Amino acid sequence: MNQGMSRRGFLHMVGAVGGTTAIYQAALGMGLLPAVTHAARPDIAPLTGKRRKKIAILGAGIAGLTAAYELRQKGYDVQIIEASHRAGGRNLTLRGGDLIDECGYPQTCGFDRDPDLYFNAGPARIPGHHSALLGYCKELGVSLAPFINDNRSALVQDDAMFNGRPIRNREYITDTRGFIAELLAKSLKPEQLSAPFTGADYSHLLEYVRQFGELDGRFTYAGSPRAGFARHDYTGPEALKQPLPIAELMRSRFMYVMSFGELDDQSAMMMEPVGGMDRIVAGFMAKVGDCVRLHSQVESVRSTDTGVDVVYRHKGQRTLLQADYCLNSIPMPLLAGIDHNFPPEYADGFTAVQRGKLFKIGLQMKERFWEREGIYGGISWTMQDIVQLWYPAHGIHRQKGVMLGAYTFDDQTGEKFARLTPAQRIELAIQQGEKLHPGYGGYVESAVSIPWHRMNHMLGCSTRWDDSVRTQWFKRLQAPLGSHYLIGDQLSYHSGWQEGAIHSAFHAIADIDRRVREQATQVVAA
Amino acid sequence: MKAWLPLIATTVLSTTAIAADNSDLSYCTVCHGAHGNGNPAIRAPKISAMEPWYIRRQLEAFRDGVRGTHPDDAAGHEMQPVGVRLRDGAAMDAAIEYVSTFKPKAPPITVTGDAARGRELYVTCASCHGSNGEGNQTVGAPALADRTDWYLVTQLRNYKAGLRGSDQRDTNGAQMRALAQTLPDTQAIDDVVTYINTLRARR
Repeated sequence: MNQGMSRRGFLHMVGAVGGTTAIYQAALGMGLLPAVTHAARPDIAPLTGKRRKKIAILGAGIAGLTAAYELRQKGYDVQIIEASHRAGGRNLTLRGGDLIDECGYPQTCGFDRDPDLYFNAGPARIPGHHSALLGYCKELGVSLAPFINDNRSALVQDDAMFNGRPIRNREYITDTRGFIAELLAKSLKPEQLSAPFTGADYSHLLEYVRQFGELDGRFTYAGSPRAGFARHDYTGPEALKQPLPIAELMRSRFMYVMSFGELDDQSAMMMEPVGGMDRIVAGFMAKVGDCVRLHSQVESVRSTDTGVDVVYRHKGQRTLLQADYCLNSIPMPLLAGIDHNFPPEYADGFTAVQRGKLFKIGLQMKERFWEREGIYGGISWTMQDIVQLWYPAHGIHRQKGVMLGAYTFDDQTGEKFARLTPAQRIELAIQQGEKLHPGYGGYVESAVSIPWHRMNHMLGCSTRWDDSVRTQWFKRLQAPLGSHYLIGDQLSYHSGWQEGAIHSAFHAIADIDRRVREQATQVVAA
Repeated sequence: MKAWLPLIATTVLSTTAIAADNSDLSYCTVCHGAHGNGNPAIRAPKISAMEPWYIRRQLEAFRDGVRGTHPDDAAGHEMQPVGVRLRDGAAMDAAIEYVSTFKPKAPPITVTGDAARGRELYVTCASCHGSNGEGNQTVGAPALADRTDWYLVTQLRNYKAGLRGSDQRDTNGAQMRALAQTLPDTQAIDDVVTYINTLRARR
């Protein structure tokens, strides 16, 4: 009797004949490997001669640059209008001498001029599944290096536990898991199991619990190498750290963020461009920089019968730009204040979304003291306003480094910092950082602060869509109004990520391509 | 195929002494909208066609922390450092001059209250702001007609709650704060602003 071939047996056979690619394809086909699915870059039909279409792109951020790069290669006549003194939008890497264009508080970055001393004030990490962005990095020659998000040797600090004394991340995670596992193992009874479990599964379940918490033979948690050793003296017997008092650990709000590094967008392998996130902007600018006009603030965007009219002001002079299509990445809350002729069923959406108020601080430290503490890259967490400290994974063992001294997500904290003067913000951040690293302030040589909702020409990061606003507005705003398309991460389900910006551009240019192809067909038919 | 063409008719600005490329001045239109006609999404009111003396007084108030420093005045906090930025007299002059070049547009009507009741309430306002909302520089009262109505509502609420007009140095604000107390509730504020909207036609 033919037993049939097992799936693994079949894969083995395919591998023998077709090599690993064949195995991979076959495995995908059989559903053994999860397919990483992503929308492909649109295949834009090339234009030639008289058929060249004029495209006005408002905003030289990642969405605008992507659209320009793709359309130009296919013969479109593209111009990018950018209000700021620089391209990149929120892809902002700060180095010594750079202007931080905050409304009311323009600052100049005072870092030393050194290739390793920079601060990614906007996006700072790229997960491995952001394939569109990674594809551009490859194509534009942007070198990437690993970015360390999750470092179990970094610290956790909360005034609610151990009188504010910081502990290592690994201690919190391991000791709480050990406790929960022990609790579960001791309270789990075979007779409690119901379908899909059978009585025979009881031992498997118990073994999982043991592995989860690293319990001993009697299902007791008595410390674990995962939590670290009391000392690292490799010539003598190792001594485990004693488990920390569980009641103290449970009082910490760290439990709400302890799995941050396991998120889809936050887990290894994360990457960063070598030399700063804006190497991506530089890569795009090398290709399309000649069609970017900086210092040009848009005053008016009007839909016409034949396209879109844009008026912008550059050095006090107004220019009218008439385009067949307009791709507009101006943040919607700013767009609400620009002259337009859009109907309320479209334009009212601009005021429906809210401005996000993310805030970051960057600190140039005269010494990489964290490396002496065994922290190489990664993030320490505190339940104070500054939330996070990041240690740079680049420039390891050099004298100086630029670390992140605050990264706040909630709008209230962002507003709180923004209200302070730049000097006061740094003072507060240092005061809070001292709880993680005593003597911290003594290392600070130079500091920058970036309240995104106060940054000129942007006034927000990232777009806040609550569910009802999303339901009511997203599809309408994603669809074109005549020949006017809204783009940017604001028009994605991934606000605040460059991948979202790129896909918004893909969505718009694919639609333009469709329309242009249809027109060409109609012309031929006529 | 279309052309890029400069708008000759509207390039007058380029010849003036205003540093139109000065990033400080670009702040004005980033928040307050093109030609300063206001942007509710940023909670930034219409500033076009605002009296230069009134703009100056407010910029000075922001500069000195008389305005925009109350803990609950989030929008005022956003403006306050811009006032500080204009502490240099010439910079403030340039900003006021720049605003005077804006082409004003009538703001949309967004407040719907009882205009008849508002008219009765407005009697108190009229003594300083004029029966047609035209304002009166002598008593330091700005024009009210043709301003962004949602902003008038916000400011009346701010005066009433003490977010504005509480600073000891703010004598004009103190008067407004006292008078705002005569509006018993938010409905009364909406009503009086609804009436102020009807004054536009008279100007």
